[in-house]
Amino acid sequence: MDFVFLVFSSFSLLADPVNLTYVILGFVIGTIFAAIPGLTATLAMALLLPLTYTLSVETALMACASIYMAGMCGGSITAITINIPGAPSSMMTALDGFPMQQKGKGALALGHAALGSMFGGAVGALLLIAVAPFVAELSLLVKTTGKFSLLAFALIVVVIAQRGRIPQAGLAACIGLMLATVGLDAMEPITRFTYGYSSLTAGIDLMPVIIGTFAIAEVLTQASARIDISAAAAAAANKVKIRRRDFLPPLSEIRKIGFGCYFKSCLIGYFVGTLPGAGGSMGSFLAYTETVRNSSEPETFGKGNPQGIAASESANNAVCGGAMVPMLTFGIPGDPITAIMLGVLVINGIQPGPQLMADQAGLIAPMLAALLFSAVVLIPLTLWLIGPYFIKIVSVRKDVLYAVIALLAVVGSFVATYSTFQMFMALGMGVLAFYLRRNGFPVITMLLGYILGPNLEEFLRRSLALSNGDPTTFVTNPDSLFFVALTLVFVYFLVIRKPANTPGTAKAK
Amino acid sequence: MLLNRQMVFLYVTLAVSVGYLVTALSLGAPIAESGLTPAFFPILVGAAAIVFCSVLILQALRDRPEPAPEDAIRSYTHLWVVVAIFLYIVAFKPLGYFLSSSLFVFALILLFSNFEKLVLKAIISVAIVGVAFVMFQQLFGVRLPTLWG
Repeated sequence: MDFVFLVFSSFSLLADPVNLTYVILGFVIGTIFAAIPGLTATLAMALLLPLTYTLSVETALMACASIYMAGMCGGSITAITINIPGAPSSMMTALDGFPMQQKGKGALALGHAALGSMFGGAVGALLLIAVAPFVAELSLLVKTTGKFSLLAFALIVVVIAQRGRIPQAGLAACIGLMLATVGLDAMEPITRFTYGYSSLTAGIDLMPVIIGTFAIAEVLTQASARIDISAAAAAAANKVKIRRRDFLPPLSEIRKIGFGCYFKSCLIGYFVGTLPGAGGSMGSFLAYTETVRNSSEPETFGKGNPQGIAASESANNAVCGGAMVPMLTFGIPGDPITAIMLGVLVINGIQPGPQLMADQAGLIAPMLAALLFSAVVLIPLTLWLIGPYFIKIVSVRKDVLYAVIALLAVVGSFVATYSTFQMFMALGMGVLAFYLRRNGFPVITMLLGYILGPNLEEFLRRSLALSNGDPTTFVTNPDSLFFVALTLVFVYFLVIRKPANTPGTAKAK
Repeated sequence: MLLNRQMVFLYVTLAVSVGYLVTALSLGAPIAESGLTPAFFPILVGAAAIVFCSVLILQALRDRPEPAPEDAIRSYTHLWVVVAIFLYIVAFKPLGYFLSSSLFVFALILLFSNFEKLVLKAIISVAIVGVAFVMFQQLFGVRLPTLWG
């Protein structure tokens, strides 16, 4: 209960003009990046990561929280108005949003999307605030062998969640683990894989990995793209006229959608968010599927049913709260954005893990307050104030945009250590991530392999040292056995059992 | 086809994985009396990477690749972007932030567009670099290299 009070008392930090400015700025930047097809809020956060060096940790985390929330709802703008989802999590929103736009109800669809996002974001944040302290207390019960099994569970789930490309995901995870082993060994004074370069003794820094993976790789991907959708998107955007007064959904429509639909979608999004690697797109897909399944008129979905928008947007914004649970309690990021948030903690010398909520509650509480504030205040406010103009941002010049991104990325990687070595490292990581993406390898598994690798190795070695080399320790310790069993359950559902086909979602596949 | 783009990537990854495993083996025995050594985990990861690589190579060899359309235009812009970033990093300290960044941004704008309206693009490049300087140095207190020290 103390933590809940701490979070609500942290709202006073938002009265500080500096904090409020960064939270609002973060939200606007996150929305712009999410709205432009090809760019993501992850990229925005990766570019802003170097700047967090100069901010206080509280302010940096609050800005990250608002970018995260904005990133989940910003993609709906172009999904609805021009049928090009700005972010993957808004893919399901386009199914009903664009048909509404074609019927002249685009502004109303945006209103429904904002309402769903607001509700989903708020419920997700409240659940996080209520649940995280209990999960953190439970996480303290997990001992060394259990920690290894938990990390292995997270990595295995991220790999097997990539249905149809499990070998690619496995190889990407191995590449991440390889990168994690570079540098000084955690338990013995031995350097590994440095090949004589003293700059590698401390290992590969998180900053160039994130900047390379998300920013430089994105610039290279756009440079190699043969089809430029920005011109088509800009042409479509110029035809769209949006009036503020049409944003407000009538009460009768909200009643028709039903509180149950909103709440169930929030719960689906929240629980999907807690799974490593699942993310907003899976959350909105499952919530949409469930809504279609339960609807008395499933044939109306995909033709402009506001319930589809509400389900999709409630779920993807609730993912924000869910994804932070494993990150804050176990140090396991659920998606790329929480991985970058983890980076903000690490570069400020804070060790994520079970002790984080107990030792650093004062740092975490403002971030959760900012998450709730972004959902309840900034989502509707942003739509009302700048909604009619947001659609124009897809008209931004691609050449200038990517030149700016490249400049911020390369100079940003210099900021950490004032060394050009980190810049070269960011370039190397960018090239690696670009070729991985180009060949169908999920880079999120590489990133999670890199982030979880050091602890995975350390807990494996400590577990076996404690058990005198007996590997059965992983099934004889109850905490470890729990995660081993959980891994097997996920393997059964994600690999062995075939997924059922649901009508009404064929267009999204 | 044994050498399409994806196969080349897989062969390179396999070669790197083998190199990684060989280096891991050179670290010493994976298991000692005191437990697992620093070599154990890398050996495990290297071996797993080789297994995944081999599976993917076999899959690619078994599946017939889709023939590329004859009129498909190959784009090499990304390679030029890599070269531009590399040269920018090399020139960053010797030339200073302003000169190196202006040339870099100008080059990227040209790579992402065409060789028209060069003066306008040069002015945009200088403006971008100026704004970024204010943001980094003045707003966030980051010291960037300049020719005047």
